[in-house]
Amino acid sequence: MSRRPHHFILELVLVVLCITLAVLAPGFFSAENALNVLRNISMQGIIALGMTMVIVAGEIDLSVGSAVAFAGCWTAYLTGTFTGTLGWPPAVAVPVAIGLAAITGFLLGSLTGFIRMRFRVPSFITTLALMTGLSGAAELITNGFPLTPFPEWYNALGGGYLAGVPVPALVLLCVFLASSFVMNHTVFGRSVYAVGGNEEAARLSGIPVGRTKTTVLAVTATLAAVAGVLQSSEIMSGTATTAKGWELDIIAAVIIGGTSLSGGSGSVRGTMVGVMFLGVIINGMTLLNVNEYWQHVVRGILILTAVLLNRAHVTQEAFREAAA
Amino acid sequence: MITLELQNISRVFPGTVALQDFSVRWEGGKIHALIGRNGAGKSTLVNILTGALAPTTGTMLLNDTPCTLRSPADARRTGIAAVYQELSLLPDLNVIENILLGRLPVRKGMLPGRIDWKAAERTTRELLARLNISLPLHTPVRHLSVARQQLVEIAKAMASSPGVLLCDEPTSALSHQEARCVFELLRTLADHGALIIYITHRLQEIRTLADTVTALRDGVSTGTVPSAAATPERMVAMMFGEDVRFSRMIDHSPLPTTVLEVRGLTRHSAFSDVSFTLRAGEVIGIAGLMGSGRTELLRSLAGADPPDTGDVVINGRICVPRSPAQMMHCGMVMTPENRKDHGLLTLLSTRANMTLPSLDRLAPHAITNRTREEQVVARMQRELDIALADPEAPVSALSGGNQQKVVLGKWLATDPRVMLLDEPTRGIDIKAKAQMFQTVVRLSREGMGLLVVSSELEELLLLCHRILFMQHGRITGSADAGSMCLETLLARCMESS
Repeated sequence: MSRRPHHFILELVLVVLCITLAVLAPGFFSAENALNVLRNISMQGIIALGMTMVIVAGEIDLSVGSAVAFAGCWTAYLTGTFTGTLGWPPAVAVPVAIGLAAITGFLLGSLTGFIRMRFRVPSFITTLALMTGLSGAAELITNGFPLTPFPEWYNALGGGYLAGVPVPALVLLCVFLASSFVMNHTVFGRSVYAVGGNEEAARLSGIPVGRTKTTVLAVTATLAAVAGVLQSSEIMSGTATTAKGWELDIIAAVIIGGTSLSGGSGSVRGTMVGVMFLGVIINGMTLLNVNEYWQHVVRGILILTAVLLNRAHVTQEAFREAAA
Repeated sequence: MITLELQNISRVFPGTVALQDFSVRWEGGKIHALIGRNGAGKSTLVNILTGALAPTTGTMLLNDTPCTLRSPADARRTGIAAVYQELSLLPDLNVIENILLGRLPVRKGMLPGRIDWKAAERTTRELLARLNISLPLHTPVRHLSVARQQLVEIAKAMASSPGVLLCDEPTSALSHQEARCVFELLRTLADHGALIIYITHRLQEIRTLADTVTALRDGVSTGTVPSAAATPERMVAMMFGEDVRFSRMIDHSPLPTTVLEVRGLTRHSAFSDVSFTLRAGEVIGIAGLMGSGRTELLRSLAGADPPDTGDVVINGRICVPRSPAQMMHCGMVMTPENRKDHGLLTLLSTRANMTLPSLDRLAPHAITNRTREEQVVARMQRELDIALADPEAPVSALSGGNQQKVVLGKWLATDPRVMLLDEPTRGIDIKAKAQMFQTVVRLSREGMGLLVVSSELEELLLLCHRILFMQHGRITGSADAGSMCLETLLARCMESS
């Protein structure tokens, strides 16, 4: 929680990377490209902030990628049903469908938390099952073809701008400010760190372990549903095959941001930097015409390097403490 | 006849002499008990005998030939095996696999490396027959009782037919009945000529089990006597010195009001029918062995493991323990025995640890207030004299004594009426211990009720008004600590079992 110099290393690397790319990559240093990067990172970023809380609390959510696809399809399906079968006007049908998709996400996350606490099934298992299940459910809803029931104006959510900034980026900013406040300045945030650091010690200290873990899982599943709605708005359809493998990109961003997979430490600020870092690297490589397969290799190396760097700092700090 | 002789063994660590000029001659065919309070040098001696530590000076003679042990593997080859309190078995493997682990017989021929299960079973059967114990060979040890697991552990140690067997409190997790089958096995081994060194905290075991008793005090041997001569008084004198006079620290009388009343509290397979009352300003100690249910009782009272039946009344209000949070709101909190795993969140800062249980109060509308938290830390730092360089640094950077003060402080910040202290002085230095005692005295003077569990009986005499004796999950009696000396307290603990 304290601010130490090494906490800003990733920021520094990010700045250096941006300067390098500005020099090397044609078109990198422009407002248009910056907005482009922002749009590209915002949906995964929204989920990554929630994922940070989940991982700090000592849990994991592997279902977020499928949850994005499912939420998009579910919103499209409900909109289609409401406007078609029930004959509702789109202005009513779309908001109701979005609300129901978000509620579904919340309930699924709560279910994971409930199963975790009541039956002691690790969230890894439950969300792994959900990952497959939701992906299949999305295919069932859409029958394997994209659903396109949305009115024209629906595109404003995922593809529109507000004051020149992409709407999803604004959503990301709001989620960042909210999660940052919650994690750093509320009793709940402190509880998240406590239950992830040592569940039994937290319980003995009077922290509601079950409620805390269930809440972060539910919030993250809701954020995944929100990202799914934005995604469906951007592509103007509910598509079951979208967002494949996002869960790993998101977890990678969280880890690059310095959050420990074993729980108890990390920050949403770090995740934000991690998300931007990955976004800038991919954008830069695309502008430099780096082969897409190479991009994957580079990302793999990055994840490992970031974790090793983090480990080096932890070890150094431990040495200093031992010496003190 | 096998003999093990130690001549002037010393071991120096930076700043302390853990063992000084220790000499003894042990003979085979006998069981030799080794006693001493925590920190007396028993573990150092065990580590030297098993090759884990090299002595700084001194010689070790096995069968009158000097021997130097370079590693635990070296010790095993020389014929010195050890069994510890913590089991080293693999729970999902069966008895044969566990006993022969690392030396399962393999077949030769077409597919080298294939395990010869028939030979393995034969070897195990022979071994168990020789030790005169019967165990189900093909059952995963997970399904055996702890006592039988301990038998497997000893059989495993005996598989290489060592001449010397070192037992470091092998029965501390067992009930008296269960311990008996371990004793029988050890006696069988001794009758076959093995030299057995037996370390224990349970002095009452010694007279039935051991042939000789050797005591350590502050790293120095205080003599070896035949067990027939080892009366409780004699053993106390050997462990604590001839002149055991403690100046009692507690001299005020408790107030007449009752803060805690426990009636018929039961938690199945841990303790049953526990009843007592604690008055304001009173300190009650619980004297009992590990496994007597003392820690379980404290955990239940604190809501960590809720009891099955019984009443708990705090300040005249019935509070059935359900969770630590609920008991905290009732005004009763516990500092747990295991500081690292249960007391502290080692990743978090001292400030975060210190304010965790009282955060609801310090944070209006669930939004944390750093200034108020810092005030709490500053107050506790002053009251408990915590050496704290940076309240924002992880609490794991503090010394054991200071960590224990943080644990105490985090609960004091909730303004409890009753505190349950489980081994409050474990693993902390002498100065921190003295400060812990003073804090307990101060809190009781201020009207708090305290319940203290400690393995160090002399601490209970120092600190408590009354002592409750606990055994096999029951309170077997109580005594006024003021009128007691250590010998009678120890004798009382021993006779009651």
